[in-house]
Amino acid sequence: MPATKTAPPAKQSQASPLISLWNAYNESTSTRLKTIDAFLVFLMLSGIIQFLYCILVSNFPFNAFLAGFGSCVGQFVLAASLRSQVNPANRSEFKEVSPERAFADFALGSIVLHFFVYNFLG
Amino acid sequence: MAVGAFSWIVFALFAVAAQAATLTLQSPRFTISASDASQLRSEPLSLAHKPTTPLSLGATDVLKLTFQVVDKDDGKGIQPHQTFLRFYDEVSGEEGIQPVKVTPGGKAKFELNMARPPASLPPTTTDPLKVSLYLGSFVHPPVQYELFDLIVPPSQPPAQHPEEASFHVRPEIHHTFRPEQKLPPKVISAFFAALLAAPWVVLLGLWSHIGPQIPHLLSPSILPFVATLAAFEALLVWYWVALRLGQVLLYGAILSIPTALAGKRALAALGDRRTGKSSK
Repeated sequence: MPATKTAPPAKQSQASPLISLWNAYNESTSTRLKTIDAFLVFLMLSGIIQFLYCILVSNFPFNAFLAGFGSCVGQFVLAASLRSQVNPANRSEFKEVSPERAFADFALGSIVLHFFVYNFLG
Repeated sequence: MAVGAFSWIVFALFAVAAQAATLTLQSPRFTISASDASQLRSEPLSLAHKPTTPLSLGATDVLKLTFQVVDKDDGKGIQPHQTFLRFYDEVSGEEGIQPVKVTPGGKAKFELNMARPPASLPPTTTDPLKVSLYLGSFVHPPVQYELFDLIVPPSQPPAQHPEEASFHVRPEIHHTFRPEQKLPPKVISAFFAALLAAPWVVLLGLWSHIGPQIPHLLSPSILPFVATLAAFEALLVWYWVALRLGQVLLYGAILSIPTALAGKRALAALGDRRTGKSSK
């Protein structure tokens, strides 16, 4: 998602591509973006665990599963779109959308999503 | 007026009936003969009572019935407009009507050959058929005679009406339902619920590690917005617990106005801070 990515350093004997990717990410991403990324990771883990429960144990209150899983997926989508719109590196693609406008959209979308999820949760 | 006309017609009919001759049968007689034309039984019929023993026909016997329809007063032969023989099974309720040809002089002859039974013979069992004669006429009062009881070989039972089943009580329907779905044991549910606390731990750990800052959170331009957003979330939780749809929509619509206003102010302040003053 970050548009800029420093090229991995010249192949050092101990640095694997993953570690160098991680280092580059850590250095070049701003705090705010990292905050949103942490939120995204949290949502992903939460959704995976709910899905595993549905497969392994039971899907009995199916509406409850759909509500919970849907909330994870929906919130992930909203947060991801917020992140891409707020990222200064993407400024050229989102000329007419200011970061504040993006946050307002995120807040509104989240509230509507939460309303539908609570409706379905039962 | 209509009552007057009606009573005039009734009186006229009574007058006609009083003057009309009555019909009667003269010399009714039956003969039962076997297939080789040998006579088995031959008797005259009485109009007052039926023969003491019922008539019985074998599978190849022939029954011949002869009579003459005459006027009771002067004995003149009359050809009635309708002459019917009715075969009626009292036990099963089946009946058959057979028209009988009568000459203009009133003479009638009817032949029943069991080797080739007519279509008017109803389905029979071992019970006797009551045979009666009906005479109908436009100018004479109608007449009916019970002639005799007839026993014929039993036939196939009548076909059941295709909708017969709907006239009786139907068999009771026993519905079977899918068994109720059961919740898994509480231990497993509790385990997975605890497992879902793990992402929260991860999130809080990451956030404490990253250390995001929200300066100016408590400034008067931003705090109302955050407060209204929190109020919205609280409203949704309240809806989940207690409210109904109409109420939550109403409260949400009311709450959205200060939210929008506060949001405009807060985000405008943030935007100014981002662009106008030092960049954040």
